[in-house]
Amino acid sequence: MIEYKNVKKVYGDGETAVTAVNDVSFKIAQGEIVVFLGPSGCGKTTLLRMTNKLESISGGTISVGGRNIREIDPVRLRRSMGYVIQQIGLFPNKTIFDNIAMVPRVLKWDRARIKERVGKLMELVKLDPELYSSRYPVELSGGQQQRIGVARALAADPDILLMDEPFGAIDPINRDKIQDEFMRLQARLKKTIAFVSHDIHEAIKMADKIAIFRGGRLVQYDTPEVILTQPKNKFVSDFVGADRALKVLNLIRARDAMNKNPKNILRADTPCPEAMKFFSEKSRTSAIVIRDDKPIGYVTPRLVKFEEGPVSDVAEPYQVFVEDDEPLRDVLSSMLMDSMTTYPVVDENGSFKGSITYQNIQKKILELYEDDTD
Amino acid sequence: MEILNFIRENFDQALFLTWEHIWIVFLSLFIAMITGIPTGIAITRNEALAKKVLNTANILMTIPSIAMFGIMLPVLAPMGWGLGKVPAVIALVLYSELPIIRNTYIAIKNVDPALVDAGRGLGLTRWRLLKEVEIPLAIPVILAGLRTAAVMNIGIGAIAAYIGAGGLGVFIQQGIARSYEAMIITGALGVSLLAIMVDSLMALLERGLTSQGLKIQGRQ
Repeated sequence: MIEYKNVKKVYGDGETAVTAVNDVSFKIAQGEIVVFLGPSGCGKTTLLRMTNKLESISGGTISVGGRNIREIDPVRLRRSMGYVIQQIGLFPNKTIFDNIAMVPRVLKWDRARIKERVGKLMELVKLDPELYSSRYPVELSGGQQQRIGVARALAADPDILLMDEPFGAIDPINRDKIQDEFMRLQARLKKTIAFVSHDIHEAIKMADKIAIFRGGRLVQYDTPEVILTQPKNKFVSDFVGADRALKVLNLIRARDAMNKNPKNILRADTPCPEAMKFFSEKSRTSAIVIRDDKPIGYVTPRLVKFEEGPVSDVAEPYQVFVEDDEPLRDVLSSMLMDSMTTYPVVDENGSFKGSITYQNIQKKILELYEDDTD
Repeated sequence: MEILNFIRENFDQALFLTWEHIWIVFLSLFIAMITGIPTGIAITRNEALAKKVLNTANILMTIPSIAMFGIMLPVLAPMGWGLGKVPAVIALVLYSELPIIRNTYIAIKNVDPALVDAGRGLGLTRWRLLKEVEIPLAIPVILAGLRTAAVMNIGIGAIAAYIGAGGLGVFIQQGIARSYEAMIITGALGVSLLAIMVDSLMALLERGLTSQGLKIQGRQ
């Protein structure tokens, strides 16, 4: 756990003094990712660098695990935290192995333990130790280098990670991938992470909580959902963007918006005339066809009209299945592209969980914004 | 032909003078190295001091060698070291300081600040960071400075014969005095060959001590 209490950072003195961080107080809970977000010069990076004493503290206190860091030797403090920076900073004169082994060596671990640890970390960040251990940083791509940067930071298994725009220099496609990988890693490791970013998309994707800074002050500290749906002031709403409703769609999973007990489902062996009756009685225009708990397609009155056999014979297969953890943004995008109005939602085994329509999505968004007016 | 005869007849002396020359040059280079490299590193932490040190070394290097030996004569004479190898070595040390200090300073300064930041952030001590990262990265440039100093010292070392320091300059000095062409050319050739050989050896050393990772980086 990291706690900031009235933290202040002033550069210079007298008339030329510049306050980079001004009276900032908040807590980062154990196992959470908090993204420090804001425009450049807002003090987010300074605050991060104060956390491992790369910058001195002008006022207030920062405590880590309940201890005031003023009382901890900087070198020891830093060894208890991982540090990842945008420029990656792998040592070009050392092999990948030696880069990762840096901190364990400083801590005087024995050889066998270091070797085992480095191998494990490389597998964790999905780089084959056999293939990459003896290579040099310059032989790796930017994305691979930053994976090693993360592995190096995790080497001595610190509880805390400080990350300063770690994925900022990586091209957009690989950035998305490395972010996903990092989130999977974090789901297992549960580190306490302070993460500096100026990218609202990244913040929404990664953060348990977002701390928005402006001119050295903390403007709002909340979960991404609350930041998007209830921005505290114009600065925050401008910063998160006019399309914040669309951004919220990234945060909500299909399972949160879907209809769990849809009425318009038909078993695969339902005869077509019966389906026709179902359509006219319930005045439905389509139905999902289910066989053995799995959706196999859909039927419409036009498809079953004049048919005699089971609906499975005439069902149109779905081009896209929505997985229950898919963000609503992707679901909506599929709907727009395929001009489909209803999708079945499945879990990772392909079992039917519910259905999702445009109305479901809209209803969910409205629900969130209703809190706004309270 | 005349030269070959001269060398044949004075082979022992030629060998001895070469050895003497090497000895003076390398002793001074060694002293300059163990003082210059730490100085170069130390001044990277203090801009104001760096300026002063580099300026002083710069001025020292502009003094012509004959004048330098002349200045040293009255300074060291009270201790009985006015002539001979001692003033020669001292002068060579002073001349070597600039290329060594300057190259060390520049090389350490040029280490990517992101690497220093990453290293500190990982919890490396100042000393450890120097040893593991900054010095290995600076090695090629530091060695280039040593190489410059070594080649320069071989040349200036020839002049030290005038203050009785020995070395291959003896052939040149005495040859001039006696208008003995073969003797002059033998001395001059010896000094030149020595310089070329040392230069190549230092180049090899430079390659040997540069990290594999940096070489790959250089190729890209």
